[in-house]
Amino acid sequence: MIEFKDVHKWFGELHVLNGISLTVDAAEVLVVCGPSGSGKSTLIRCINRLEPIQKGELVVDGMKVHDSRTNMTKLRAEIGFVFQQFNLYPHMTALQNVTLAPMKVRKTPRKDAEDQGRYCLEKVGLGDKLNQYPAQLSGGQQQRVAIARGLCMRPKIMLFDEPTSALDPEMINEVLEVMRNLAREGMTMIVVTHEMGFAREVAHRVAFMDMGEIIETAPPAEFFARPGSERTKLFLSKILTH
Amino acid sequence: MLSFYIEQLAGSLPFFLKGLGMTVAVSGLSLVAGTVIGFVWGIVRAKRVRVLTLLLGAWVDVIRGTPFLVQVFIIFFLLPEFGIQLEAFPAAVIALSNLAACFICEIVAAGIAAVPAGQREAATSTGLNWFQQLRYIVLPQAMRVILPPLVGQYVLLIKDSSVVSAIGVVDVTRVGWLTVQRVPQGLLVFGLVALLYFVICYPLVQLSSILEKRMSSGYNR
Repeated sequence: MIEFKDVHKWFGELHVLNGISLTVDAAEVLVVCGPSGSGKSTLIRCINRLEPIQKGELVVDGMKVHDSRTNMTKLRAEIGFVFQQFNLYPHMTALQNVTLAPMKVRKTPRKDAEDQGRYCLEKVGLGDKLNQYPAQLSGGQQQRVAIARGLCMRPKIMLFDEPTSALDPEMINEVLEVMRNLAREGMTMIVVTHEMGFAREVAHRVAFMDMGEIIETAPPAEFFARPGSERTKLFLSKILTH
Repeated sequence: MLSFYIEQLAGSLPFFLKGLGMTVAVSGLSLVAGTVIGFVWGIVRAKRVRVLTLLLGAWVDVIRGTPFLVQVFIIFFLLPEFGIQLEAFPAAVIALSNLAACFICEIVAAGIAAVPAGQREAATSTGLNWFQQLRYIVLPQAMRVILPPLVGQYVLLIKDSSVVSAIGVVDVTRVGWLTVQRVPQGLLVFGLVALLYFVICYPLVQLSSILEKRMSSGYNR
């Protein structure tokens, strides 16, 4: 479903992605972890070309992301993206937030879009918040609206960029719960997160990144029990013992 | 004596109202045109297309850095040298529209820049194209930043319109000049001129401060 082939990216002098090769299958859940600045966010931002890549190949759902001729609107419609800072539209209600793209990009009639929007918001447990504005919702609720906004496009892939990092601790679980359910339903997901409990329980594979490279990828049981590299061990010892 | 002049002034009130109509016409047309052009320029500036942005920036700087009176003279007296002959009224409207567009362009560009980048990214990631992002996400949020100074700018431009009296447009200021030749009471005559400007501008000043308060009060409704 997603295939990186020797992908490189530079921010000026900084080599943020250094020869990434990675395949994610349909219905697979991949958790990406690593120290800050290791390129995890950049990695998933390349998948819907929020960031362009400079070298290598990146094929998503059969479409070449690195090719400027690719219809990005069509591709992006298939990829939901959840940001650390939610990025909800503050001037729109929850329902308007989730129905905008279906109506404008998919050209779904308003009534159908609203039915779909209600369904998605119910799915994330916010069926009673349809007409609330983001500022009236808690952080956890806002992030769940953001997930519903992604789902409302009926995407094939969902990408999560540190979805719980900006949340108060007591709100983290309600967001992870929504993501667990999605994974169970067979959504293809890449999740950048430091929630190792979530990785252990939900991920099919865990990838560790450092300095723009994927150091190792393994199923969670193996990843946590027998990390293959010293860098992974060091990282895990830091975040698991805090 | 004074009452005689007041009576005389009252007699020329229709003349003043006609001048007021001209002021409203010049300002009104220029503000509409200037707003439309200013938004287009502001959007182009915010989009950072290098050549266009550079050209617009230079033009805006030139216009903001030269006296409006000189700009009016250039359009009215110098363009005919190059074969472009304009009546006073269109020359006035063109000069004032351009001035308005330059100031509004800056206000709009600043408003767009104030919308967090994450908003665009979120919209991009759902597949909305550039125009849809502008229309549904960026401009509605930018308008909160744009509206108060925009209305404030309107007030300044309406007052600046008095400059076009210099090329013979018979606006309120010009009526003042002409009247004071018959009624030698400058304070009285131009007091009336000032009052007429104030009558148009004061509601806008109020509107601007109301908008300022309303727009700064978050998105909780």
